[in-house]
Amino acid sequence: MIVGRPMSRIDGFAKVTGRARYAADQQVRGVLHAYLVMSTVARGRITAVNTAGAEAAPGVIAVFTHLNMPRLTVPAPTHGFFKRYLPMQSPDVHHQGQPVALVVARTLEEAQHAATLVEVAYDARRPQSRLEEVMNEAFVPPPGSDGPNELTRGDVAAGMAQAQVRLEAAFHTPIHHHNPIEPSATQAIWDGDRLTVFESTQSLMNTRHSLSQAFGIPLENVRVLSPFLGGGFGAKGPVWPHTILTAAVARRLRRPVKLVLSRAHTYTSNGHRAETVQSLRLGARRDGRITALEHIVTQQVSRTEQTQFNSSEPTRMLYAIPNLRSVQRVARLDLPAQSFMRSPEAVTAHALECTLDELAYELDLDPIEVRLRNHADVNPEDGRPWGSKYLRECYRIGAERFGWSRRDPRPGSMRDGDMLVGWGMATAAHTAGGRPGSGVTVTLGTDGKATVRSATQDIGTGTYTVMTQIAADVLGLPVYDVSFQLGDSDFPEAYTSGASATVPTVGSGVNLAGTRALERLMALATAAGPLQGLPAARVAAADGYLFDREQPRRRVSHRAVLRAHGRPIEVTLTPPAAPLGYSTGATFAEVRIDPRTGRVHVSRIVGVFDPGRVLNRKTLRSQAIGGAIWAIGFTLSEHTLVDPATARIVNANLSGYLVPVNADVPHIDVSFIDKPDPASAALGARGFGETPMTGVTAAIANAVFHATGRRIRTLPITQDRLL
Amino acid sequence: MKLFDYVRATSTGDAVSAGGDYIAGGTDLLNLMKDGVEAPDRVVDINALPLGGISLDAGVLRIGALARMAEVAAHPAVRHRLPVISQALLDSASPQIRNMASISGNLLQRTRCWYFRDTAFACHKRRPGSGCPAQDGQNRWHAILGGSDRCIAVHASDLAVALTALEATVVTHRRRIPISEFYLLPEGTPERENVLESGELITGIEVPVTTLASRSRYLKLRDRATFEFAVVSVAAAVRLRGGEVDDVRLAFGGVAPRPWRSPEAEAALKGGPLTDERIRAAGQALVRDARPREHNAFKVELVQRALAQILGGFR
Repeated sequence: MIVGRPMSRIDGFAKVTGRARYAADQQVRGVLHAYLVMSTVARGRITAVNTAGAEAAPGVIAVFTHLNMPRLTVPAPTHGFFKRYLPMQSPDVHHQGQPVALVVARTLEEAQHAATLVEVAYDARRPQSRLEEVMNEAFVPPPGSDGPNELTRGDVAAGMAQAQVRLEAAFHTPIHHHNPIEPSATQAIWDGDRLTVFESTQSLMNTRHSLSQAFGIPLENVRVLSPFLGGGFGAKGPVWPHTILTAAVARRLRRPVKLVLSRAHTYTSNGHRAETVQSLRLGARRDGRITALEHIVTQQVSRTEQTQFNSSEPTRMLYAIPNLRSVQRVARLDLPAQSFMRSPEAVTAHALECTLDELAYELDLDPIEVRLRNHADVNPEDGRPWGSKYLRECYRIGAERFGWSRRDPRPGSMRDGDMLVGWGMATAAHTAGGRPGSGVTVTLGTDGKATVRSATQDIGTGTYTVMTQIAADVLGLPVYDVSFQLGDSDFPEAYTSGASATVPTVGSGVNLAGTRALERLMALATAAGPLQGLPAARVAAADGYLFDREQPRRRVSHRAVLRAHGRPIEVTLTPPAAPLGYSTGATFAEVRIDPRTGRVHVSRIVGVFDPGRVLNRKTLRSQAIGGAIWAIGFTLSEHTLVDPATARIVNANLSGYLVPVNADVPHIDVSFIDKPDPASAALGARGFGETPMTGVTAAIANAVFHATGRRIRTLPITQDRLL
Repeated sequence: MKLFDYVRATSTGDAVSAGGDYIAGGTDLLNLMKDGVEAPDRVVDINALPLGGISLDAGVLRIGALARMAEVAAHPAVRHRLPVISQALLDSASPQIRNMASISGNLLQRTRCWYFRDTAFACHKRRPGSGCPAQDGQNRWHAILGGSDRCIAVHASDLAVALTALEATVVTHRRRIPISEFYLLPEGTPERENVLESGELITGIEVPVTTLASRSRYLKLRDRATFEFAVVSVAAAVRLRGGEVDDVRLAFGGVAPRPWRSPEAEAALKGGPLTDERIRAAGQALVRDARPREHNAFKVELVQRALAQILGGFR
């Protein structure tokens, strides 16, 4: 089997030698450079603009404002344009850092300098950016694409009445930003009314549809290319205005135009993980069984949209809770549109998993035992069985690897010299897939080699590599005879690289198209030559040969069959929608805290996960490590801060927004159950990328409690909260 | 970034007469220029001046203005005779920055106050008279001591805190300035951060090498393990005789617009043993005049704890 091997990434060599061309690296002849001028007020109207200085600056070709920007159609939110308005179409300003002018010059430096010369006057109103001050204006938005925002199961009041123990807790999580190492970039090239865009995007599909709608041109007139991404984490899943504005000015100027967002621009040009306030009420019996749970999440939305992505799956799906009320509310603030960010469910899971730890202490039960007693044997959403679920094994193996049985549960009981030691655990869980299937073309050439194409993306997760492995396995070819190509919207349309959906949606497509292509190859092989007359069931494929299962020496190469055939075999298809998977795991964290200064250091993390079948142990382990590091930042150091008077982000840079550094990251012990999920059409693999960040956040916070006896329900847990 | 003239000076005289902003490692100035916070007409590159080197002579350590942070931190005499300098440098920035950044530039780096570093905000330091949004804004990182209604930004250099504890002298092409007189408090003129006059060039730093200096340490507390500025830091040098504090110097970072020496805290420790009670009294003396804002009140407690932790190591 090629699937399962810890194969190094196929694009690794190109990446470390600089041969991988990212969106902004593509050399486009005659390209002009654009730079954005951003609003410095959060709410109001532009009353005057003076572009004379900028227009007179060296190298400037044009300066666009709302007065002269071409009129554009606002794309529908169905293809990821969530903002519901395009800037520079009117004098209205809806948030700080909204584009109010766009300068185009011969060089980037000239554009950047001229941008500082654009003068904009505003009629500004005082903005509101504090969520706690608008909680009484919060409302439940109508159901979105992810289902209802208010859900009741059973009878919460009755469940609370049955409870012997009742807990109430309020949590607060701050704004987070994705901060991929590569900021968003667009290069737009027009040829008549045909548009080609080099774009750093997690969704060729969304970008293509949105551009087509914005300019009113047929879909087939738009080609989007995105062969490599320097990360996205959700920032590049939706379509944001800068992409459309760049294409608009390129069309007007009849010249290719390139725009790269500055780091600060990404903070308001992409979305962000919204600030939340969460309240939980939980009732349980003394035996640990939860009788009722109410979980109300209130988060920020902007003035212009109320897009609400479901983040409450942990509340609804993770445990067998008979009486449940789950509510997702939103409140408007004068901030940019929020959107999804890696592991959206981590926000609610954090609150839930910390509250379960409180329950364990309340009942004097082991935290694992509390979770086992509420284990969801079937999907609580619909009562149907899971495809597969090995969460109990994850708890058991994780506890062994961590040494959980040696834990003294009393807070503050474990020490290492002067340092307080804390051990905490939590369940990891995230939905995966449940999205439309992704189109795939498999071509078996007369040279016996396969080319597999899909308009999907590799956001750094290993899509090139894993899809090559699936195709090689299904087609019976060595990996070096398979070329997997992505990042070009001329290929069959694929779903966004998000929602842990790439393996389920593209993997199933590669599997299905590969299977069809092999069937056709076998039909040819059994019609003539060494395998003539054999029933298809007796023929297998491996290492570039088709052979008789009963007499493996009786064989013929793919190449010989195809050469005899004289033309390639090509199969294009889109598989059925991938089922919604649920990849779970158990995570454990150890912290060391200096009681004098309150500083928390994570000294050990153990994670055991059930991702279905492991397609590539190396890339999957990288996902798990990355998720754990994200969890360290989420729990201990990351937060976007907004100036209350102006609603302007004050730390829109990597100096003020603290992602973990190497010294913050301990050894991370990762293992997998590695058993196929029969419900998966991707060789038993489930989507997994977003699971491993969940769990770890609460495991760290629960470890902090174990070390100190302090329950810190506001993130991040900076040292001042532990003094 | 605005267009500017670039001049490469080869002698101190040329550099001074060139009339521009000096650049050495450029690790701070370039960022400030890119962000439009600084916009010099002329940048004078002083890297070719003969101002490097580290030497120990007659009880004085001389650090050339152009010595790099990494070089100074690794120097054997610094590590053994003046450990607080080495520790403060190694706790600063990242290896890449320490390889580039000069010692004199480190002393002159501008504050990390985000209101100062974002030209969309008012800031008295950047645009005198415009305002100070930090007073009622996101001020978790701001000063609790020595601030004014016009500025509560903190000084960012760890090295300057160590040098303050060691009573170093800043040497310019014109004069010698004790470091205690080098930095200015903001009061009504936060745009003036030090006593250097226009065009005055730092040529080196001198640090007395004493037995007290050899018993010096640095403690830095911050929100992640490395590559981050101090929330609170302490440089301490303590000499004990017969179990009693014979001499002590304390300087603090992250709490004030300049490195903060506390004679009151030192006085509370001198002449007695390093007991918890006396350490507590020293901490209380340090923060007696603290004026915290909405988000930084914790620093009042944290800086006392940091002091207790570092002094505990001298017992």
